[in-house]
Amino acid sequence: MTTGISGRRQWPLPKQAVPGAPLLAVEDLSVRFRMPGGPSVKAVDGVSFGLDDGEALGIAGESGCGKTTTALSLVQLLPGNGRISAGSVKLFGIDLVPKTERQLARYRWREISIVFQGAMNALNPVRRIGEQIAEPIEVRLGQAREASRKRAGELLELVGIPRQRATAYPHELSGGMRQRAMIAMALACDPAIVIGDEPTTALDVMVQAQILKLLEQLRRDLGLSLILITHDLSVIAETCDRTMVMYAGRVAEEGPVRRVFTAPRHPYTAKLLSSFPNIRADRRTLGIIPGQPPDLRTPPPGCRFAPRCSEAMPQCTTEVPPEVRFADGVRVACHLFPPGTPGSLPGTPGRAAGAPRALAGGVS
Amino acid sequence: MSLPGVAGATAGASAGAGTLRRAGGGAARFLARGDGLVGFAILLVFVVIAALPDLFVGPLEDVTTATGQPLAPPDFANLFGTDELGRSMLNLTVHAARISMTIGLMATVITIVVGAVVGIVSGFVGGAVDAILMRISDFFLVLPTVVLALILAPVMLDVIGADAELFGIRSTLLVIVVVIGLTSWATTARVIRSQVLSLKERMFVDRARVIGAGPGHIMWRHILPNVVNLIVAQAVLTFAGAVFTETTLAFIGLGDPSAPSWGQILNAAQAAGAPGLGAWWYIAPPAVCVVLVVLSFTLVGNALDDVLNPKSGGRR
Amino acid sequence: MSSRYVVNKLAFAVFTIVATVLLMFILFRMMPGSPDRATKNPNMTQAQQAALREKWGLDKPLFPDQLVSYVGATVTGDLGYSYKYRAQPVTEVIGGALWPTVLLLGLGELIAMVLGLALGAVSGWRRGSPVDRLGNGISLVLYAMPYFVIGMPLIMLFATALHLLPTSGMSTPGAPSDLLTTLGDVGAHLILPLTAVSLGLIGGYSILMRSSIIETRAEDYITTARAKGLRDRRILWTHAFPNALLPMVTWIAISFGYVIAGAITLEIVFNWPGIGTLTVEALDARDYPLLQGIFLLLAISVVVANLIADLVYGLLDPRVRA
Repeated sequence: MTTGISGRRQWPLPKQAVPGAPLLAVEDLSVRFRMPGGPSVKAVDGVSFGLDDGEALGIAGESGCGKTTTALSLVQLLPGNGRISAGSVKLFGIDLVPKTERQLARYRWREISIVFQGAMNALNPVRRIGEQIAEPIEVRLGQAREASRKRAGELLELVGIPRQRATAYPHELSGGMRQRAMIAMALACDPAIVIGDEPTTALDVMVQAQILKLLEQLRRDLGLSLILITHDLSVIAETCDRTMVMYAGRVAEEGPVRRVFTAPRHPYTAKLLSSFPNIRADRRTLGIIPGQPPDLRTPPPGCRFAPRCSEAMPQCTTEVPPEVRFADGVRVACHLFPPGTPGSLPGTPGRAAGAPRALAGGVS
Repeated sequence: MSLPGVAGATAGASAGAGTLRRAGGGAARFLARGDGLVGFAILLVFVVIAALPDLFVGPLEDVTTATGQPLAPPDFANLFGTDELGRSMLNLTVHAARISMTIGLMATVITIVVGAVVGIVSGFVGGAVDAILMRISDFFLVLPTVVLALILAPVMLDVIGADAELFGIRSTLLVIVVVIGLTSWATTARVIRSQVLSLKERMFVDRARVIGAGPGHIMWRHILPNVVNLIVAQAVLTFAGAVFTETTLAFIGLGDPSAPSWGQILNAAQAAGAPGLGAWWYIAPPAVCVVLVVLSFTLVGNALDDVLNPKSGGRR
Repeated sequence: MSSRYVVNKLAFAVFTIVATVLLMFILFRMMPGSPDRATKNPNMTQAQQAALREKWGLDKPLFPDQLVSYVGATVTGDLGYSYKYRAQPVTEVIGGALWPTVLLLGLGELIAMVLGLALGAVSGWRRGSPVDRLGNGISLVLYAMPYFVIGMPLIMLFATALHLLPTSGMSTPGAPSDLLTTLGDVGAHLILPLTAVSLGLIGGYSILMRSSIIETRAEDYITTARAKGLRDRRILWTHAFPNALLPMVTWIAISFGYVIAGAITLEIVFNWPGIGTLTVEALDARDYPLLQGIFLLLAISVVVANLIADLVYGLLDPRVRA
């Protein structure tokens, strides 16, 4: 199939799917939050990225940088005071942004499912996990109750939980087990994309490793297309093909994990990486970049990282750096790399770089 | 509560303004709430009426001074009609405002003082004292005022006598005040205790203790000022409950016929068979007043609670 | 439900009832002339009074003898004899008035729970919508109305003005006594008081359910349900409602005492031959044995209601059940 959707997909594509369109193309996405008695906050500002079938993209950045907001806005699960103010989210070429809540429901979970952080709160405390996993199979895919219960049992086994535990309530499971159940639930409708929103953050290190291993294995076995949100770069290094580093609601740098992590171009990426002395050793030493992320109600003009950047130049505080793409598939928004820098591709427009072309590089 | 990433974004963004908003005070936020403001306006009207009833309608009418026909519907002579003794309903209702609201106020004071003392001591001292006080408050939480009053009020009246006076207030009214006060403090005690528990953990208590302050001093000087907000909000809500309870108690015959509160008027209306006679004017004025006062105090109390109580957030 | 949880709740119920009995003992020994008064029932012969004095040990010291005999008698259901009702045992007098009240309150609670909880849930789920504004406004007004204030206009409108329904009592005197007619008659008498009880309760239930739903709505598992692409209605009723119901169970039990108080006033308004009417009769006649009996009954009902609520909570919440 020209869309690049692999044969594993058991459900027909949505009728409006555009032939040849990439799996996911997000362009110039902006999200605003209304704040009580103040200016609204642009939590996500002109973010573009894409995802190919079977690919894993890791979105990195400090908390509050807009990475979760970006992911949740794909299916518009923003809190009541948030809304998409600009941009498009194209799944199979279908723009989801103008869809109504009712129309969006068709895409939720069947096409894009989410593994939430902290499964204790994300699972309904008064319903058995088996029911919760079977629910979308029954309600969304229209399968009989018996069949969906059986499928839920299979999914539990797939994530390493004995199917007898389907009758357990969330509080009866350990943290790791709950996260596994959450993953099983995300797989229930065999979605085109699974978003992992800090899926391991709330867990202790040993369990984190097990859950990551499970995700990797599922990716390999099922050919999942994955968007992984984490502030933990080592998780991305182990699990993802490409990474997108965000800062204060904008993309700082995006590209193949190996390129970005071994030769970071954006000073923020470099700082972030250097705060992990050894990517494989200590996973919890983030936060030694001096200063605080900016107040998004009054963001600094120009580059938002400029106030904390050791290499800031005069123009950094006045001009927004354009996104520049390089031949090796990396995209950077930094005045250190103006358009025309050796290795960059010609003709890149402003910071809202054309996402589909940015995707073309794909997996390194 | 909300999603982690978003919470992070908004928290980071609003950190700077937090101090400012607190300094600006809850007043602005209270004023921004329409319901609280409407409630407050209604309250003001009733407070003025209760303070100066004679100014509006002259002294309280009794059988000898009544001028109207018995049970006459509203007309130009008596805008609100008359009761079965020919007394003006307007006169009665306005005077009842003073009685109902005075009883409510006095009962609230007792409730709040007992509730605050129990809540602060229980939360601060902890241990066995806390356990015992909370058991007792559980008892009063389970057995509501009106049920307890059924047995407490007649016994107390028999002990002191119904016609005795204390500070110029008839004992029937005092008994109602004391009964309401002594049986409805449990909620306040609970709310304040939980706040004290979290206050206790904060540094300044430890520091004060280290420099040799006694527990009484700490409770008075350090804990109390920090729960005053809560006490105010609770007091307003308690007042609504007290007026409500007094109305019920007076209606079932525990009130004082010579000092008519709204509940007492409704009791008289029921005894005179007003509902069956279709004498709506006998019932509507006191009933509407009770509902307006209880409603407006509830609105103001909820608004205050939202603004002042750190724990209630979006409650109610 | 762990046995520890059940034992704890049972222990508190027993504690409350014991405390109530002790309170009654103290109160009635405090009164001037008491406890003699309890035995000087005008409807009793000298011999009967002497027997009572003997039984309650009134010639012996207050503690422990009188206390022991008082508690002993209370526990065995011997609540003494009513003054007003010609020396009938209190238990019999109360027993006769019990069922009308149970009928009225039971049905009222049932109707109010269904309607009040549903109204509150929809109101909170659509916070700020016209439905919410109207529903919450009506609920707040109802919540501020004493039950009898709800009942009086109902009588004036439907009975006095429109002559649609009977105003007072539970049945029409002299009506045919076959089952169907009796049921219809009681039903007609029941409509207005039942409406008043239900309306009175709906206000409180709906206000609290609304705030409970608003709190639940912000939970992460509701976002999960939205992410699953479930219909809004399904999210409300199968995900939010069961969770929002949990705090309500406790609240419904706590409010039960207030409901009883309200029902007493309504029975007066509708002349309903239940515990409420009996209470006012006992109050007016200062029939202390009867008052004591009624108070004990109300206290036990409230305590039992709370116990049941705790147990139901345990059943509804798997976190307690485990």
